[in-house]
Amino acid sequence: MDSTSNPTATSAEPLLSLQAITKRFGSFTALSDVSLDIRPGEIHCILGENGAGKSTLCNLIFGVHRPDGGAMRYRGAPFHPAGPADALAQGIAMVHQHFSLVSDMTVVDNVLLGRERGILKRHDCAEQLEKLAVEYGLPLDPYAKIEDLSVGERQRVEIVKCLIRSPSLFVLDEPTAVLLPDEITALLDVCRRVASSGRAVVLVTHKLAEIKKIADRVTVLRGGRVVATSSTPAADIDALVRAMIQGNVDTLDSSAASMIGLKPEKAARRDREARTRSEALQIDGLTVRDYQGAMRLDNFTLTVDRGEIVGVAGVEGNGQSELTAVLAGMMTPAGGHVYLGDLELTNSSPKQITAAGVGIVPEDRHAVGCITGMSLAENIYLNRLDEFTRYGFLRRGELENEAAAMMERFDVRARGPGVLFSSLSGGNQQKAVLAREITLPNLTCLVAAQPTRGLDVGAVAAVYGHIRAACERGIAILLVSSELDELLSVADRIVVLYRGRIMGSCAADPAQREAIGAMMAGQAQ
Amino acid sequence: MTALEQPSQPAIRRFPIRPALLVPVAAVGFAALVGLALIASIGVSVPDAIAAFVDGTIGSPYAVAASINRSVAFALVGFGFVLANRANLTNVGGEGQIAVGGIAATAVALYGHVSALPLGLAFILPMLAAVAAGAAWGAIAAVMRVKAGTNEVISTLLLSFIGVWLLYWCVQSPLLLRKPMTSSATLPESLEISDETKLPLLTGDYSFPLHIGLPLTIVIAVVVAVLLSKTELGLRLRAVGLNPVAANRAGMSYARTVIFALASAGALGGLAGALMLLGEQYTLKDGFSSGYGFDGLVAGLLARGSVTGVAAAALLFGFMRSGGINMEMVAAVPTALVVVIQGLIVITLAGATLFIEKWERK
Repeated sequence: MDSTSNPTATSAEPLLSLQAITKRFGSFTALSDVSLDIRPGEIHCILGENGAGKSTLCNLIFGVHRPDGGAMRYRGAPFHPAGPADALAQGIAMVHQHFSLVSDMTVVDNVLLGRERGILKRHDCAEQLEKLAVEYGLPLDPYAKIEDLSVGERQRVEIVKCLIRSPSLFVLDEPTAVLLPDEITALLDVCRRVASSGRAVVLVTHKLAEIKKIADRVTVLRGGRVVATSSTPAADIDALVRAMIQGNVDTLDSSAASMIGLKPEKAARRDREARTRSEALQIDGLTVRDYQGAMRLDNFTLTVDRGEIVGVAGVEGNGQSELTAVLAGMMTPAGGHVYLGDLELTNSSPKQITAAGVGIVPEDRHAVGCITGMSLAENIYLNRLDEFTRYGFLRRGELENEAAAMMERFDVRARGPGVLFSSLSGGNQQKAVLAREITLPNLTCLVAAQPTRGLDVGAVAAVYGHIRAACERGIAILLVSSELDELLSVADRIVVLYRGRIMGSCAADPAQREAIGAMMAGQAQ
Repeated sequence: MTALEQPSQPAIRRFPIRPALLVPVAAVGFAALVGLALIASIGVSVPDAIAAFVDGTIGSPYAVAASINRSVAFALVGFGFVLANRANLTNVGGEGQIAVGGIAATAVALYGHVSALPLGLAFILPMLAAVAAGAAWGAIAAVMRVKAGTNEVISTLLLSFIGVWLLYWCVQSPLLLRKPMTSSATLPESLEISDETKLPLLTGDYSFPLHIGLPLTIVIAVVVAVLLSKTELGLRLRAVGLNPVAANRAGMSYARTVIFALASAGALGGLAGALMLLGEQYTLKDGFSSGYGFDGLVAGLLARGSVTGVAAAALLFGFMRSGGINMEMVAAVPTALVVVIQGLIVITLAGATLFIEKWERK
C-alpha cells in the first residue's frame, strides 16, 4: 500500500500524499485509484476538464467528503479529517470555487467569522491583515463591506482568510475563473510567494496558460483517474493537453483550444468586408434599474448585423444578466427600445420574442433554460410543444422521434429522448438547450449568454461549431461571455460592459487584449 | 499509472419488502392496533368496538353505500389537490369549496325553478352551479397568487373559513337560505330540496343508497389521470410546477396555468359539496362540510400525485369515518378516537415511505 511515500528521502518527503484514493457517489465513481504527492514548497497544479474529479479531490483533502478506498497521509501520519474545521485546524486551507462571504459584513468580520468566540479583537485582526497585505501584495481595506468590493477584491478576502491561519497546505479550486487578466497575474504571484516560504499550494485549473506560468508539477485527471503527471509542465504541455482531453490537439476546434489557453490566436479570420450590412438586432438606449432603483444597465446601445457575431465582454455582474434578461422578455427595462429588423420587441413576452425568431441561450441554464425534472425530449421542444399536440393530446411518440433526430444532429448524448434531463451531463444539457433555440423555424437572431460555462473541451467545440454555422446562415449573434479568450476567438467585434455601461468597443483582435482588459476594469480608452 | 480493474458497481439497495403495497397495509395495521389499545384504555370492550366498526362499514348494504358516498366526496377533493399540486400549488381550501358548492347547489335546487326540468337537468343544474361556485372560490386564490404573489396555502385556508361562515350565515338568515320561520323552534337550516333535484340512486332502493356520484367520480378520475399524463395541458402544469421561470421563457403562461389549476381544484371541491347535498343530506345546515375538505386534502397528500392513490386513500377514509360514527353510536367510543387513528395512519404511512426512501439511497 505504502509505496509512494518514502520516509527515508527527507528532501522529497511529501507534505500530503494520497494513496490509491477512490470516491464513489452512489453508482458514480468520481475518483478511482488516485495517487499523488504534494511536497512542501511546490505549486502542484491539478489539471482536468469539468467532471474529471478535481473538485472531489479538493473536497477529500479538505474533509468535506471521506474516501471510500485508499489512504491519505499528512506530515507523515495517517490523515482522516473529520470535516473542514478539522482540516483547517491541521493547517490545510482552501479557497472554494464559489465565495463563502457574508456580503453585508466587513472584511475584518468575515475573516474573524468562525475563528473567535467571545469578544472580537477587530483591531488586532486588522493589523494582521495589513501585515499580510505587505507580505503578499494583497491590499485590502479591513473595514470595507464585502458588498462594496469587486469580484477580485472579494477573492482577495477569501485568500487572506486562509493565509491568516498560516496554512502549510493551501488549496485553490479554480480560483481564476472570475478574475480580470491583471488579477490572475497577481493571484499567481501570491501562490508563488506562499510556495517559496516552504508551504505547498494545490492549484486546480483547466487553463493551460496558468500551468505554463506557475506550475512546478502537474497531475492530470480524466474521468476520475490520474492519466498523466509531469515535473516539467512547461515542456510537456502538449502531452498534458492530450491526456486531459484524450484527443489530438491539432484537430481541436480553434475556439475550444483558445478557451484552455492553447492557441490564443484566431485560426482563420472570416472575411467580413464583403458582407453587406443589414441590421438584425438593434438595441437602443436600453436602461434597467433594479428594484432598489440602482442602475444596472445604462443607456446600452448596440446593433448586431446579420451574419455578425458581437461579443459582450466584462466581468460578471456588470449588467450582462440584465441585458440578456431584457432581450429574453424576462425583465422590463426602465427605458430604451429593442428592435428586430422593423419589429419592436421592447416589453414583448417570451412567447412573442420566440415567435419573432430570437433564440435565447440563457446564462443560468438550470433556472431559465430547461426544466431538469422533465424529459430530454420535452426540454428540446419546450417552446414548441403545440406542434406535437392534437385535440389537446400530446403525441409523445412523434415528439420523441423528432427529439431523437435533434439529438443525432446536435450530438446530444443520452440513452434516449425519454430520459430525465437532469441525468445528462452539463455539456449535453447545453447542447440540448442550444439545439432548441438554434432550430427555431424563423431564427434571425441568437443571444447566447455564457454558452460554454462548465463545459468540457469537446462540448465547447460543438457549441461554437453550431454558433458559427448559424452565423454563416446569416443569423445575427450576440455572445455574452466573461471569458475574454473565448470572445477574442469567436466574435467579430467586442463591446465591453462595465457597471452597466459600454466602456468601449473594438475589433476582436488578440492584439486588443490589454485594451479590453483595461476597459473591463473600468478604464475608458 | 497503474491500471486497476474497474471497481464493481455497487448494486442499488432495494427494500426487502416488496411490493410496496405492504407498507400502507402495515401502517394501517399498526395504527389500528394503537387505536384498539386506546379503546381498551378508556374501558370500552374491544370486541364490542370492533363489532360496531365492522357493522358501520360493511355490516349492511346501507353501510357500504354510505361509506362509498363519503369516499366519493373525499376522492373529488383529493383529485383536485393532485391536479393543483402538479403545478406545485397546494390547495388546502377543500372545506370552503365544499361549503360554497353546497350553498350554490341548495340555492339553485330550492329557488332556481329547476324541479320541473327534464333530462335530469333538475339535479344537473344545481351541480353545475356548485362547480362554478367552487371554481370561483379556487380562482380567487389563484388570482391573488398571480397578481400579488400571495401564498395559496394561506389564501385557500383563509377562504375556507370564509366559505364555512358564509354557509353559517346562509342557514341562519331567513333572507338567505333558512327555511321560513314558523316558530321559535325552527332549526337554522334550509328547506329540504325537492325529490326531482335529489341525485338518482343507482339501484333505486333506499336500503342501498349509492347515488350516481360514484360513476361520475370514476369518470372524473379517468379524465384527471388522462389530463395529467397524456395532454399538453398536463405537461404545462408540470412544467410550471417544476420551474415557472423556464416555463415562462418557453412561452407558457404562468397566470393561466395557475388559475386553471386552482379553479379546477375548486370546481372538484364544489362538486363534492353538490354530491353531499343532493345525494345524502338534502337540507343545508351548519357544519355541512364537517371536515370532508380536510380528509380529501389528506387523501391527496398521501397519494403523492397518483390518482389511484387518491382513490385508495379516499375509500379507506370513507369506510373509517362510517365505522367511527357507528362505534360512537353503538359502543360509545368517541369519534375523536377515529380521527386519532386516521392521523396515526397518515403519520406511519408518510414515515414509512420516508424511511424506505432513505434506506434505499444509503
